[in-house]
Amino acid sequence: MAEPTELLHGTLDALVLKTLAWGPRHGYAIARWIEQLSGDELRIEEGSLYPALYRLERRGWLEAEWGLSESGRRVKLYSLTLEGRERLAIETAQWSRFADAVGRILLRPV
Amino acid sequence: MPELGRFSRELRGRFWKPSVDDEVSAELAGHIEMLEQDLVAGGMTPEEARRVARERFGDPALIGAECVELGELRDRASSRTRFLSEWRQDVVYALRQLKGSPRFTIVAILTLAVGLGASTTIFGIASTVLLRPLPFHEPSRLLLVDEVNPDGQGFAISEPNFLSLAERTRTLSAIAAFAPRSQSIIGDGAPERLRGIAASNALFAVLGVTPQLGRTFAADEDQPGGDVRVVVLSDNFWRRRFGADPRILDRSIDLDGTRRRVIGVMKPGFDFPGGTDVWVPLAADATSLRGDRRLEVVARLASGTAQEQAGKEVEEIAAALAAEYPESNGAWTAQVRPFSEWYVTPRLRTRVLALLATVGLLVLMACVNVASLLLARAGTRGHEIAVRAALGAGRGRIIRQLLTESLLLAAIGGALGVALALAATPVIRSVGGTAVPLLATMSVDWRIVAFAFAACGTTGIVFGLAPAIVVAGRAPAGSTPELLRSGSRVASGGRLRGALIVASVAMATLMLVCASLVGGSFVKLMRTDLGFQPDHVLAASIVLPESRYDFERSAAFFGELMPRLAAIPGVQASGAVNLAPFSGGNTGMDFVPGSNLPVNPSQYRGASWRAVTTGYFAALGIPLERGRLFDRGDVGGTQSVIVINEAMARLGWPDSDPIGAQVTLSNGRTMTIVGMVGDARNLSIDSPPSPEMYFAHSQFPWLAMWLTIRTAGDPMSVVAAVRREVRAVDPDIALARVQPLDRLVRDVAAEPRLTMLVFAIFATAALVLAAAGLYGLISYTVAQRTREIGVRMALGATPGSVARTVLGRALALATLGIALGVVTAYGTTTSLSALLYDTEPTDHLTLVAVVVILVVTSVLATLAPARRAARLDPVAALRSE
Repeated sequence: MAEPTELLHGTLDALVLKTLAWGPRHGYAIARWIEQLSGDELRIEEGSLYPALYRLERRGWLEAEWGLSESGRRVKLYSLTLEGRERLAIETAQWSRFADAVGRILLRPV
Repeated sequence: MPELGRFSRELRGRFWKPSVDDEVSAELAGHIEMLEQDLVAGGMTPEEARRVARERFGDPALIGAECVELGELRDRASSRTRFLSEWRQDVVYALRQLKGSPRFTIVAILTLAVGLGASTTIFGIASTVLLRPLPFHEPSRLLLVDEVNPDGQGFAISEPNFLSLAERTRTLSAIAAFAPRSQSIIGDGAPERLRGIAASNALFAVLGVTPQLGRTFAADEDQPGGDVRVVVLSDNFWRRRFGADPRILDRSIDLDGTRRRVIGVMKPGFDFPGGTDVWVPLAADATSLRGDRRLEVVARLASGTAQEQAGKEVEEIAAALAAEYPESNGAWTAQVRPFSEWYVTPRLRTRVLALLATVGLLVLMACVNVASLLLARAGTRGHEIAVRAALGAGRGRIIRQLLTESLLLAAIGGALGVALALAATPVIRSVGGTAVPLLATMSVDWRIVAFAFAACGTTGIVFGLAPAIVVAGRAPAGSTPELLRSGSRVASGGRLRGALIVASVAMATLMLVCASLVGGSFVKLMRTDLGFQPDHVLAASIVLPESRYDFERSAAFFGELMPRLAAIPGVQASGAVNLAPFSGGNTGMDFVPGSNLPVNPSQYRGASWRAVTTGYFAALGIPLERGRLFDRGDVGGTQSVIVINEAMARLGWPDSDPIGAQVTLSNGRTMTIVGMVGDARNLSIDSPPSPEMYFAHSQFPWLAMWLTIRTAGDPMSVVAAVRREVRAVDPDIALARVQPLDRLVRDVAAEPRLTMLVFAIFATAALVLAAAGLYGLISYTVAQRTREIGVRMALGATPGSVARTVLGRALALATLGIALGVVTAYGTTTSLSALLYDTEPTDHLTLVAVVVILVVTSVLATLAPARRAARLDPVAALRSE
């Protein structure tokens, strides 16, 4: 198994927003979802997830409230706001433009 | 996962809010714990799991610190946006509410507009008179210096005494004297009488002012025998007469026949003492009479000295002078006063403070009224508020909503009030300007606007808070279902509302008592027998220039003028006097009965004196009681004669006939009393006539005189003829201050008139407010009790008994309020006595009249709602919601 790729700077926010687009989740669940959905290809330093969550909340893209997890534990649940949803669309578009551009250069035959 | 509603989330957010610290550490610890559990479930040992989890997570302390910082920023931003959005909601909702009940809104806003408008205006008066700094350098270090006569009254200062004081003082760094010296300007157009001031050269330095052009007097121009033929112009006069000629300093002007070089023009806005056109050097003369006191003195405290020290030193100097010059300074002393008293006498200060207190009461009344209206309305809004509470609005949120409504009311009312104040300002300027010179400069400045803002905010909170707490306190207390059923929402708040109305009626009572006392006292003041008849008399000031007239020529001038004036058709009597009644100022001299100077200066008595032509008594209607008036034989060189008034006779000859008696004056002259006339109030309406002696102008000529001319018709109709006759005798003499004598009397009464006017306005406003409050309260009570009244009528109550119940409740409240007001009035109106003339502060007739007015008003205010209650249809009433 190859070493998982380190995340590009700035992409974590987009991934968090995308994860929450499926419904409210707590931080730990977000970390697991990103791992699973990327097929364990992406490894995030789990701690760095939290500053990102607080930053997104401050921007008004996420809302947080305390609730209970599936296992009955008191956790802080994050959910996407309307503004967050719009932001996700913007980030997605930006990402695909970025990937296209980088791809056009890298995939050009030498 | 429980779905939480938005409202309970809000509530939770408000009541249970962990600190960001706790929030972050709980969240991070939870994450690590779950990670460890998963790793253990995946087959690791707990120790291994802890190590790996720590590795994958990173440093919790570092991450935690970053999160806390971000979290705090987040909270600050969100509470701000939430506050703003909720506030916007509140305002929109409040506007909708107010639009929904226009009658309530209009009554409330008008009430507030009256209250805030009146208070802003009065604050404007107070700010102009009491708070505005004087336009001089460090005005708080300026003092007035008076001599004090043996009776303890402040007096002007004589020239030698002023010079001695200036020479000896150590506590005053600069000291200056001034005295009015009117002048006529001749040439460059028509002759014009000017308000001139003779001032010592230090005056400008004492006040800390500089000219805009040229310079002020030099020390050697202020010496007897020095080059005193210089003049400094006021900015106003320079513009008016010379069109602001920039080359004015090259010119000289002819004042009373003396050519004076113009050496300076003062800056605009410098006007001391008020209305001055020109300043000329005083050149105080140490050899003039020490007992002739005519100078006003203003001084600046030396740095590092207090007013008390200066006062003490001035007294010591006066005592030393009294020892050195016992004949003139015998029992006299001296005092210092704050310079501000030149503008604001202590009495005026009392008046203004009384006004402020009254206006405070009025605003309080407006508040109480609106609060009671709001309370009454809150009673009918129980339903709406219960719904809001059920939908998740917290108690704080409901209070805030209600407060927003009241602040909105206050803002609208306040804006209207400020508009009222703006409209009232020019009126006050013109009415009050005569009484209180500073008021002529009243304008709406930042202080007044700031006051209006503060007053609005405070009133909004004050009248809004009580109802808000009552209502909101009731709403979430578990009574929601009960409240949602109709019918049970009447009783609460009723007692508080009642108390507010009682307070409002009590205040109206107090205001009415004050107003009728002040008003009654003013009427008495106006009816006071002055001792002369001021109506149908023309008064005009006339000044003969010193350069061309000596005393003999002056006697000749008036000797020739008087018969000419008397011959004008429509003139019944004509005379002249050195000071017309109420024209400002006084001339006084000490006397002692007998023909010898007293052994002991304390035997002197004080009296005012007037130099008059014999027609003066007839012109003013002052009756001759005994003896004779002056006649043609009383001229210079013959025995000096004197006419005294009754007050002087009582003072000097209490047990004997003064006619034929001798009088010795403090200037050393001995005279014979030939007549006694009635007392006349010359100086003020509200103090008893002072002892007065009249000299014959033919024996004691005076250069500055007032003509007093009694006419059959309108006194102003003879003005042209009078001017013609004056010009016929000397073409260069101008008349000034030409006016009916009763205008001078009216001007003296301007201050009490202003007070009375303001009190009358207040009392009317208070009465209206009280009536509106009573009406509002009873109307709402009736509206609330519609069902209850319906039940009673269904059970057999007659319309009459229903109306009686409603009226009875209103009258019970009103009576309580009136009683409270009367008791308060008894306790507090004594503080009004400074404003009252010949009126007891607890005048019983006034109290009875006020009580009657209030009872009648209360009945009238309640009649409409009582009739409405009596006309209710029981069936419709029972069906009402």
